[in-house]
Amino acid sequence: MRTHVTIIDFKTAKPVEAEVFDEVTVDHFLEAQQEWRPIVLRAARELARRGARELIPQHLHWDWTSKAPQLNVLANIFYGVSYDGKLQGLMKVETVGEYCRCRLPEQDGKPLVYVDYLEVAPWNLKPLAEALGNTPRFKAVGSRLVEAAVLKSVEEEFKGRVGLHSLPMSEQFYLRVCGMTAVGRDVAKQNLLWLEYTPEQAGRFLSGVRKP
Amino acid sequence: MSPDKRTMTLNLTEQEMRVLEDLCVRKDVSKTALLRQALRLYQMVDARLGRGEKLFFEDEEKKKAELMVV
Amino acid sequence: MKFNTDPEWLERQAALEDNSYVSVGGFVWAVEELERRRPAAELTRAAFIRLLQLARRDRRLTLEQLSDKLDVELGELVGLETDEHYSPQPRTVKKIAEFLNVPAEKLFVLSGLTRAKDAHFEEAALRFAARSQPTEELSDEEHQALQDYVKFLCER
Repeated sequence: MRTHVTIIDFKTAKPVEAEVFDEVTVDHFLEAQQEWRPIVLRAARELARRGARELIPQHLHWDWTSKAPQLNVLANIFYGVSYDGKLQGLMKVETVGEYCRCRLPEQDGKPLVYVDYLEVAPWNLKPLAEALGNTPRFKAVGSRLVEAAVLKSVEEEFKGRVGLHSLPMSEQFYLRVCGMTAVGRDVAKQNLLWLEYTPEQAGRFLSGVRKP
Repeated sequence: MSPDKRTMTLNLTEQEMRVLEDLCVRKDVSKTALLRQALRLYQMVDARLGRGEKLFFEDEEKKKAELMVV
Repeated sequence: MKFNTDPEWLERQAALEDNSYVSVGGFVWAVEELERRRPAAELTRAAFIRLLQLARRDRRLTLEQLSDKLDVELGELVGLETDEHYSPQPRTVKKIAEFLNVPAEKLFVLSGLTRAKDAHFEEAALRFAARSQPTEELSDEEHQALQDYVKFLCER
């Protein structure tokens, strides 16, 4: 699958054409490792040097190449966002697994698409870009990846139900920007906040209709 | 968006069909969606068993029972 | 998969997403890894402690004798020599600088009261701390390390 989507160029504030694709390969993991990781680490060190520890990204030591063995498993789907051939975001979702069940009482036990990993290139994250004296490159890459997860859920007949464990510093994005429901902290998963979409919430996110 | 679809005919016993239909109601998905899930689960479990891992269920009292899978 | 093509949706999402972290996955390990990497201030503090210990032992002074000589509280010197996270009074650091005959501003950096301006300073501090061991009598190498480092602090 490869489809055109628009993201926003930060400098011009205008939409530009990017691609969302699910034909993610080891080469994309290598690109993330070689292009993203050094920038994330540099930005983290700069933020630490400034004493802005609360802005240090909690995903700083990820290694996408370690996920290579998961590429050929049907239950896993990887999505990438690229612009002009350069990777801007990566996501791994699961359709089967221990977390692929709803926990909200009104949809308890129903299947959902679980977002296992989601990362946006560091030059698209304002706190990291600015730590290195740069302006961010693109906006809405994260939203496009969440949109892909919801559309996958619809495709699987899960009605848009999506679940994830948010990193603490990303909680506000999933709560306020995506409009998910915070179900509770998962003691079995490092006390991370479990968030879920009901079909109605997913529908509102997809259509852009805000809850009154 | 999806790769080309392939079609097959599936023969089930009456009991199997009832189980399938019951699961579809509970999970609120179609038969196709449910069976695709089952296939993914089977592949995942098979791969991990093949690597020497074991699959257990754990009850509320934390008692483990190993699941024997074909 | 039909993605939203409404430019207003995109603009709104972009505005809402602005300044957000969006990452999902792998948490505890990342934070623990960062905690294991000691910040620069802790590395220079190790050098400051080592400098004080070596200088005291080189002159064969106990902590009590040094506190009398410097006219600083004994508790301050004990805290400095035994606790990496102890925060000294600027007056104490100034007195130690006079005792060692090194520029006070260099010791302010080493003690963590102020920040180093260059990586070379931190590197030199780290190498000095690594060259000495906490034994009673200064070895020839420790003596040389102490002399070299005091010279370095005075020269820059």
